[in-house]
Amino acid sequence: MFKRIFEWLIQPLGLIAVGIALLALFSLAAYGLYATQQPPEQPIQFPHQTHIAFGIQCLYCHPGAAKGPSAGIPSSAKCWACHNQIAKTQTSALLAPLKQAVESGAPIEWVPVAIVPDFVQFNHRAHVAAGQNCENCHGDMTKVTVAQNPQVFNMGWCLNCHVKSADDDQEKLVKLSDCGTCHY
Amino acid sequence: MVTLADLKISEVKLSEEHVGKWGMVIDQDICTGCQACVAACAMENNIPFVGEEDSGYGRSMHWIRIERFWEGEYPEVKMTPNQPMLCQQCGSAPCEPVCPAFATVHSQAEKLNLQVYNRCIGTRYCANNCPYQVRSFNWRDYERPEPLPNQLNPDVTVRRRGIMEKCTFCIQRILNAQDKAKAEGREIMDGEFTTACAQACPANAITFGRMDDPESLVSQLAKRSHGVKHLEELGTLPNVTYFKGG
Amino acid sequence: MSKNFSRRDFLKLAGVGAATTAVLTGCGPASRYVKREPYMQMPEYNYNGQSTYYATTCRECAAGCGLVVRTSQGRAIKTEGNPNNPLNLGKTCARGQATLHGLYNPDRVTDSLKRDSRGSESMQVMDWESAIQVVADALKNNKPEEIAFLMGMAPDHLFDLASDFAKATGINAPVRFGALSMFESRATLSKAAKNLFGEASLPFFDVGGAQVVFSFGANFLETWLSPVSYMRGFAGLRDGQTKKRGSLVQFESRMSATGGKADEWIPLRPGSEALVALAIGRLVSELRDGPMPRAFSSVDPLEAASKSGIKLETLEHLAGMFANSSGALAIPGGAALGQSNGLAVAESVLALNAMSDNFGKPGGVYFSALAPNQTEYQGPASAKEMRELVQKMYDGKIKVLFVHGVNPLFELPTSLEFGGASKYVSQIISFATFPDETAREADFVFPDHHGLESWGYQRVATGSAKPVLSGAQPVVSPYYNTRATADVLITAAQLAGGKFAQALPFKDEVEFLQSKVTSLMSEADGSISAPDILTFMAYFQQHGGYWKLSDARGIPNAADVLNRSFSAQEAEFAGEGEFFFVPFVSPTLAEAGANKPWLQELPDPTTTVMWNTWVEMNPVTAHELGIENDDVVKIVSEAGELEAAVYVYPAIRPDTIAIPFGQGHTAFGRYAEKRGVNPVDLLGQHFNEAGDLAFAGMKVKVEKTGKKKPLSRLESLMGVYGIGLGEE
Repeated sequence: MFKRIFEWLIQPLGLIAVGIALLALFSLAAYGLYATQQPPEQPIQFPHQTHIAFGIQCLYCHPGAAKGPSAGIPSSAKCWACHNQIAKTQTSALLAPLKQAVESGAPIEWVPVAIVPDFVQFNHRAHVAAGQNCENCHGDMTKVTVAQNPQVFNMGWCLNCHVKSADDDQEKLVKLSDCGTCHY
Repeated sequence: MVTLADLKISEVKLSEEHVGKWGMVIDQDICTGCQACVAACAMENNIPFVGEEDSGYGRSMHWIRIERFWEGEYPEVKMTPNQPMLCQQCGSAPCEPVCPAFATVHSQAEKLNLQVYNRCIGTRYCANNCPYQVRSFNWRDYERPEPLPNQLNPDVTVRRRGIMEKCTFCIQRILNAQDKAKAEGREIMDGEFTTACAQACPANAITFGRMDDPESLVSQLAKRSHGVKHLEELGTLPNVTYFKGG
Repeated sequence: MSKNFSRRDFLKLAGVGAATTAVLTGCGPASRYVKREPYMQMPEYNYNGQSTYYATTCRECAAGCGLVVRTSQGRAIKTEGNPNNPLNLGKTCARGQATLHGLYNPDRVTDSLKRDSRGSESMQVMDWESAIQVVADALKNNKPEEIAFLMGMAPDHLFDLASDFAKATGINAPVRFGALSMFESRATLSKAAKNLFGEASLPFFDVGGAQVVFSFGANFLETWLSPVSYMRGFAGLRDGQTKKRGSLVQFESRMSATGGKADEWIPLRPGSEALVALAIGRLVSELRDGPMPRAFSSVDPLEAASKSGIKLETLEHLAGMFANSSGALAIPGGAALGQSNGLAVAESVLALNAMSDNFGKPGGVYFSALAPNQTEYQGPASAKEMRELVQKMYDGKIKVLFVHGVNPLFELPTSLEFGGASKYVSQIISFATFPDETAREADFVFPDHHGLESWGYQRVATGSAKPVLSGAQPVVSPYYNTRATADVLITAAQLAGGKFAQALPFKDEVEFLQSKVTSLMSEADGSISAPDILTFMAYFQQHGGYWKLSDARGIPNAADVLNRSFSAQEAEFAGEGEFFFVPFVSPTLAEAGANKPWLQELPDPTTTVMWNTWVEMNPVTAHELGIENDDVVKIVSEAGELEAAVYVYPAIRPDTIAIPFGQGHTAFGRYAEKRGVNPVDLLGQHFNEAGDLAFAGMKVKVEKTGKKKPLSRLESLMGVYGIGLGEE
């Protein structure tokens, strides 16, 4: 049985079939990789650059970043505090979901962009306290509308920075390269 | 990319004077066997329940269990003092060298035995090599029907099938307390936080804290003469001290 | 697989492929397209990812321990004890920990329901307006004396509301009951206190201050009265550093988890407890060479030895222990009181304390401190009083029965026939949070919130030296479309109008609570005080209640105790059979824990059995009968029969068998249903002199069935392959 399949596979047509299958797998993988790096579809095409241009600080909407593990997505009440004073809010098609959310009391379902797998315990506070700026990881938000990932959040990328920031401090290096610092 | 050589971490030294970082003292004389620690641990650490059939096969996932043995025969029968058994966070752990995936590693920073879930491939070598039999394996993806998952602790990874797990000394609480202390620019105070089991224990039979701080309550207690460490003769350098009672 | 592979399917597949690749390459999260629902209006004190803690009160039993619940993003994550609450000082038992499995239980009652007809499984969802109309109509269209409330031991605020309501409108005063109070024989304890000291109060035993504790059946390390507080007391007893280590002697026929901790375990013949207590009293008196008190003068130690099965030397040795100790304490409780002579046992064991002269002294017997807004001890209904209620139901004198916080169809002995009597009640309205057996019989189920979603308070009946009123507040918003029973009653009363509306002149539950605690606002010696009620309520919620700062335990007047005479009569046992039958409350499940999966998975402290019911049998007896572990036996009493698997238990008398209470549900959700058996099926209608059920006063027969039911035990895990469920 297996022998016959093998024989069929090594004939030229079979080799081509194997090649096509491999190519298909490879493309699928490549597409998969590509897909993970695309900004997801959001309920509102939120223009980060516009808000930053008004001089709003990151921590105004994401105050959790300085306080604890999660930066947080602002509540619609927070959006509304400014937006209900802006005439355009009532008419803009872009802002219709916000208006609707506030009126109906149903939360806006945002899709988080910069997330780590659930086996990683990430804490914003420690990173902010260590002097990291938001844009070091999240990129330059003055240039984007919907948030995008400027880099792949994988462990090598995390560790590179951890090791670099430890420099020659042996104790810090141990702490920053310990599995238990992020995985538990 | 980082290589092991970059990390410049020296091996753990095996010595008689081994002092761990975190330690626990359990007084078996006052442990009433009430299971509050077991429930508290399950709630804190997102431990799944396995149901009647799987628990009959010995697959229940208790990270801490209370052992009791019988001595003598009726009417001179005695129950030995309840013995809460959990990962002893060995200084030289038998589980660590056998892991082919380096999922069971020693934390150099916290001096704990870690279980890195995302590395674990489920060989179960570590459980086989653990003299205390305190590791539990996820034989299945155990079901938590809605809305039970609402209760899950966001600080602890939810494990899936094929992964080994065990007591972590509530490392999430350790790191939270460290983070809080650092934010406030101070050292962690003794008794500022404790593990879920110690916090729940109605009889206060469990004490947790810094072993390397001679002033801490736990290191004071551990020095008492009637303290014993289980299977110490195997050279495991356990960090849990038991008072047998009497 | 379908042959039509649509574009949508392809995209789905591609998505799966992408996710898989992402995991395999470790480049990105598989849970890429999760959605986050932020708060609509985040409370100001909240930060994302940071927990908020609320103080409230545990409702898993009636003890009233304070809790601090960790919540995150509006979900309850973990319960801890409230360190400030004088009752539990930051500690909880296993049931307190597992209360979250009640809150997020998959089998809660989610809406108000109307049953199509009695006995039918089919129910229709009602809206709350019509539900409240049903309650209002029930109040209006029946005579007040035809309306009755049956309530559980918790929460107290609802009981107060129903009591006030009943008093003002002439409906029957609410009856409170709970299986725990039945197995604790609370009525017996307070009756004995009344007979001996002239005051019907719940005694408090200061285990922590004692040197020697003689416990006659009291399972105070399990579920008895206030387990967390008694466990703390036990730790004090065993403290060998600041004082001499104290010892515990347990008299019981089957080793309980408490007995397992005893230094000496004395397996006496059931029914001989009073005799033994009096004999020890006599021997103590003899050792002291004083005049023989009348209390002990008529008892013969030799007779006590032969009738109890304890050697005379042992009795003398124990008397020596008691006599030579600087702080000896005797506690009556558990199965010892649940016998025909239960009251005599309670009295003679309490009298033994007179030989240690420990009344009102550290390490001795006190009266429990009354809660801050309480004027006298109120006990729950005894089983006999429950029988009176059942009789009234049978006679058709009760047309409407409101049931809250109790599950009589599971908790009462089946022979009391609550189920049969309920057929004569035209309308049963249950306020059950979970679909329990009684809710299944009810015509309407108007679900109350879970305890963690509720307002309220609980008076601490015993366990704390200081008077404590534990306060409850919602720690999360209600998960389902449930409504607080207090609110339902208040609104229904308004709707019914007239005297009903006048009886409950409140806007809602919170206003009622405020009216009940107003008097405490400026009382001296309180843990909190405030000039106005809103500030006071804020403190009340923040601290998890209100308590006094000084010891308010009563001192029993024991001047006359030793001059009384006591009955040393042995208990009488009902039914024919060779075995004494001891039902005991499961230390991990208690009366309402069976629907919480993690409580089911907690091993029993003595047998390590999980998820089922077992029958404890002495190894010698089992051998003689040819019974092995996991053999299913049939147990027959005069009242009924049941089948369960045997656990060969080394620490039980050969003439006794024991079964835990807690399993055997026919309703109550997926984790409880059709699991194990309920020992109340075996209990007949026998009471002691105080009206408590003689639950340990039965004799039963054991028959082999030839079947096997492997029990899941933790101990089988210890490297023994082939033992467990796999071995059929």
